[in-house]
Amino acid sequence: MTPAGHSSGPVHRSLGGGGIRRLLIANRGEIAVRIIRACRELGIETVAVYSDADAEAPHVRAADRAVHVGPAPARDSYLDAAKVIAAARASGADAIHPGYGFLSERAHFAKACEEAGLVFVGPPSSSLERMGSKIGARRLMIDAGVPVVPGETPADQSDAALEAAIARIGFPALIKPSAGGGGIGMKIVRTAAEGPAAVAAARREAKAAFGDSTLYVERLIERPRHVEIQVFADGHGNIVHIFERECSAQRRHQKMVEESPCPALSASVRHAMGQAAIAAARAVGYRNAGTCEFLLEGEGDTARFYFLEMNTRLQVEHPVTECVVGVDLVRAQLAVAGGEPLPFTQESLTQRGHAIECRIYAEDPAQGFIPQAGPLLLYREPQGPGIRVDSGVTTGTAISVHYDPMLAKLIVWGESREAARVKALAALRDFAVLGIRTNIPFLIQLLQHEQFIAAAIDTGFLDREGAAIAETTVAELPAAALAAVAEHRRISPKRPSAAEADTDPFSTLRNWRV
Amino acid sequence: MTALGDGWYLVDDGERRWRVAVAGDGDTQWVFVDGQVGTIDAPKTGRPRTRSRETGVMSPMPATVVAVHVTPGQAVSEGETVIVLEAMKMELPIRAPRAGVVKTVACATGDLVQPGVNLVEFE
Repeated sequence: MTPAGHSSGPVHRSLGGGGIRRLLIANRGEIAVRIIRACRELGIETVAVYSDADAEAPHVRAADRAVHVGPAPARDSYLDAAKVIAAARASGADAIHPGYGFLSERAHFAKACEEAGLVFVGPPSSSLERMGSKIGARRLMIDAGVPVVPGETPADQSDAALEAAIARIGFPALIKPSAGGGGIGMKIVRTAAEGPAAVAAARREAKAAFGDSTLYVERLIERPRHVEIQVFADGHGNIVHIFERECSAQRRHQKMVEESPCPALSASVRHAMGQAAIAAARAVGYRNAGTCEFLLEGEGDTARFYFLEMNTRLQVEHPVTECVVGVDLVRAQLAVAGGEPLPFTQESLTQRGHAIECRIYAEDPAQGFIPQAGPLLLYREPQGPGIRVDSGVTTGTAISVHYDPMLAKLIVWGESREAARVKALAALRDFAVLGIRTNIPFLIQLLQHEQFIAAAIDTGFLDREGAAIAETTVAELPAAALAAVAEHRRISPKRPSAAEADTDPFSTLRNWRV
Repeated sequence: MTALGDGWYLVDDGERRWRVAVAGDGDTQWVFVDGQVGTIDAPKTGRPRTRSRETGVMSPMPATVVAVHVTPGQAVSEGETVIVLEAMKMELPIRAPRAGVVKTVACATGDLVQPGVNLVEFE
């Protein structure tokens, strides 16, 4: 080590990471690699943790140190708070970044870090607790003036009182059993005249299914968009919003494509959502990066938005914001966690151009999106201006059944939405993953779907249309592909026998897909 | 055809060049070109695949017939080469899927044939 200012060696000084000197990353895959990169820039030493399945993983190779934390199942390794904190202590780390998923939103973990004297790169455990309860968070948001989906369980459950509640909440309304779930007993009421019959039916079904006929009444948001606002707060009283991301393209609540700006937002609604997100963060004493998720009904100046929940961590899709706004959110997280003020002010933040993120999943769209496991025989990412790939895999990586099937994220930036769309398409066509099936062929079709081109995707779109889009991924390959396979077999050093030398791929062709 | 290394090939089909990736040393090869991915199974050594329900052979792609080895009424054994096609400047033998007797031959040397059409039918 050379002390700062020593004439004969490199100068060591804080590059923006605050007081953090050595950071343990309590995560794996692409997000661990992403965080390690930010640490490199800031001169922060990095400690990776890994399970038995990840000993050779890229995030382990990228870190300055690595600590084994257990067997492959996440609950025995990455989700074991005691082991992760012990690893931080053993490696001399002074801070922990939880990434997303795993322990990132567990209040008890943040609290354990605080008690162990470790800086938790995220909000205080008290914020996690307050946002962790959906019912509690809803009350907090109502008190803070943040719009939520209107709804109530009327204390008076008489026909007249329920019908009055429906009229108060507005049409279309949804009646559902308070004790319920899974869509049982849910009735849509579009006009006041439909009220009595719907209430009677919902009550009967609620009683039969749950033994409790208490009904909940809420506004039905039809074909909503998922729009979320990035917020950021520091420990000096500064709090900003960093605009929106639209994440309506999701399958069974699993996001697949995210973009920013949201094409349906007018400037006034964007501003109102930004202010609502700031109010939400303030209400829970938030610090560091967080995201307020909203449902958006309609578009333009008349659009209405409703708070869903706050994600008290860095989001998977944070690069979309980084590209459009020109900020480094992980770097800012480390600065704020290290005690520094936010590196930007609200007035300095603007959106420029358009960014699209495509999540690359190890799943087979042609087989109902079943997850794929196995080694990546060949992996090559696209490159070029405006193309960014965040990944945690490489050729030879074995995709494990133990973890999330996301291999990588492709993020592109263009001057306009259309420029970003065609860039994403070109990049997807240049993204080679062999050995397991991925959703890349599906993404190529999705980005060419007329609804996507028209920016007319709601949160139910992929659940309605996904199967039909998956069918369009089956197509014929050019003959060049077969010729290359024949050549590969001819020159491949590990040919099983001479008899295979003259086998032709033509007679055994199967499973071609775009 | 140029092997670029690491499983990548540059294939010139006379009209344009394709960059193709191939991986897999065993019975199955994975192939990538232009965002498309497929798998190809190698036939089992010395024991060609039996597909008893098949009544003929066809070309899987546009190709030129360069040789016809059978005539109607001729008995063939399973795996015997019945036609040789050419595409991508490469000869590709088409084999009998099962033992049988040739019923019809629907192509001749020099024909340009399309996929999905039986070239030789068996009884």
